[in-house]
Amino acid sequence: MSAVAGMGRAEAERAGARNVRRRRWRVVLRHAALLAWVAVIMFPIYWMIATSFKEKHEWVAWPPHWLPHDPTIKNYSQIFVFDVQRSGVAREATEQPFNVWGPLADSLLICTLSALVALLLGTFLAYSISRFNVGGRHFRHAILMIRMVPPIVIAIPLLMYYAIMIPLATEAVLGTRILLFDTRVGVSAIYIATTLPFVIWMMLTFIEEVPYTLEHAARMMGAGRMYTLRRVVLPLVASGMVVTFLFVFILNWAEFLLALTLTHPDVVTLPVLLNKFQSASEGRLFGPQAAIGTLITIPVVILGVLIQKHLIKGFSFGTIRK
Amino acid sequence: MSEAQVSQAPRTAPGARSGSFGRGLGAWLAQERVFRLIPFVAVEVIFVLVIIIPFLLTIYISFLKWRANRPFEQAYLSGFGNYQAVLTDPGFWSALGRTFYFAGAAVTLELALGFVLAMLVARTVRGKAAYITILLVPMMIVPVVVGYNFTMLYIDSGPINQLLAPFTQAMGLDPRIRWLSDPVAAQWAVILADVWQWTSLTFLIFLSGFSALPRQLVNAARVMGASAWQIFWRVELPLLRPAIVIAVVIRAMEALKIFDPVVLLTAGGPGTSSQSIAFYLWEQVWVFNKFSFGAAASIILLVIFAVLIFFGIWLLVRSSAAVGRERAA
Repeated sequence: MSAVAGMGRAEAERAGARNVRRRRWRVVLRHAALLAWVAVIMFPIYWMIATSFKEKHEWVAWPPHWLPHDPTIKNYSQIFVFDVQRSGVAREATEQPFNVWGPLADSLLICTLSALVALLLGTFLAYSISRFNVGGRHFRHAILMIRMVPPIVIAIPLLMYYAIMIPLATEAVLGTRILLFDTRVGVSAIYIATTLPFVIWMMLTFIEEVPYTLEHAARMMGAGRMYTLRRVVLPLVASGMVVTFLFVFILNWAEFLLALTLTHPDVVTLPVLLNKFQSASEGRLFGPQAAIGTLITIPVVILGVLIQKHLIKGFSFGTIRK
Repeated sequence: MSEAQVSQAPRTAPGARSGSFGRGLGAWLAQERVFRLIPFVAVEVIFVLVIIIPFLLTIYISFLKWRANRPFEQAYLSGFGNYQAVLTDPGFWSALGRTFYFAGAAVTLELALGFVLAMLVARTVRGKAAYITILLVPMMIVPVVVGYNFTMLYIDSGPINQLLAPFTQAMGLDPRIRWLSDPVAAQWAVILADVWQWTSLTFLIFLSGFSALPRQLVNAARVMGASAWQIFWRVELPLLRPAIVIAVVIRAMEALKIFDPVVLLTAGGPGTSSQSIAFYLWEQVWVFNKFSFGAAASIILLVIFAVLIFFGIWLLVRSSAAVGRERAA
């Protein structure tokens, strides 16, 4: 600014025009770079959706078809078969019907159940950490450690625990073998344990925004602890709980390693189902696979877009100023 | 102090009047020293049941000689045999080294790309919200689907080969290159799939860092005649340090777990050239049924990761403490 004031007027105008031009170029370049990355992001997703509408001779055609030449919903009708037995054996392996309803129900049930339980426990604990400093100063970091342990390290102990220890122990104590391996309860239990750290961290940021004086006032007026929690604190963090629930739901929905290792063959979640196609011996079924991929992706992307504003806050880990 | 006084009231009043067991229990639970521990105990019980006990069992099994073809009851103690087998297995060490290589390459690219994208978006005015929405989409996509998507791009008659066809044909090659059959290309296929997905997370962390930058400080530097270059290196970058630490720690810890794209894209192949440590262990236990070997490897890996995790958490705590000091000042 001071430099401009020192110059002659004409000179300053020329410099100003140059600056404007330079700034405009910078804006154009910035948008070009961002749009290039947008293209990189969108292309694989586009390719999957396009493949899900392609006939089987188009899946791996050379040169590849950038648009389906004759769009079809065959791939979708092939995976949404209700009764695989009754629809008979297909003449060709690529027309084999698949029942996606079972895995869809398993995924929905496991993800909803475990996210709800984790949300309730985690919110309660986050409240306790925030208000009473339970577990000491570094407890919240200790919790984060659990999240950082690689799932494969947890999967091997859990396999042995679910498949050996619990059946043997329950047989000795209760007289019947209870098996947690390949059950929805078994998968849900480990999902609850692995997502609790996230719930606690996200709920902490929401609960710490609720002023303590409000609760204090309620308690002074004679409200009980649970009443205060239910009527004063929970309504204020309700939107935060919805966001946390959706986030944890998305995490569970995407989980693959633990579902793959702790189930077989009864319980099948959607990622495990998609992986089964990948190793299918009867030729690769790219079309139905793309249809399942689209089916898994669309709902979570919509949910994710809905909560993204809150995710920015949740992932700032205290670096963002309010 | 006042909190303690408040908690007295509901404890004594109803208990004295009715004296029933239910009320007495309720009053006992409502005391602060009890109430604060209820969720803590509940969560600790879950962690003990689902994580601690399985690990104790695994430590026991890691000292057994036991394979799947024999019932568990016939297994016998074998001392440190399994640990010795793991530590002398070249496959274990090369998978571990490869995992660090994958994570290093992927996280470096993700940090650089995420930083540049966040900087560009932070300075954009028009269409900012739309850019943020789209750039965050990869994070939401199920990793298995990402793996599938990239197989479709890499297959010999896929779009990547078509885009490269003018160059490959000019060189007199068959344009239908089988990328995933080449060891180096397969490794980079896994790395690039990871970069595609998780650049959105580093972008998110850096974006919240950029939006938290104090405007006055940057403006003050500009008024005092600092160049854009100086403002970036001397003002913005030091202020973004906590965000950078968070991005590095979180992404590095996640990248070391890499499993899904390896299974979906390459299945560890060709040969073992793209096996990550998670894939290697999965194959040992679930394909080859080497249970006690897997138990020992899992314990060794836990020890290695515990060191890394402690270091990572230490970095996080230190940087968040620095932010707290700054805010207080």
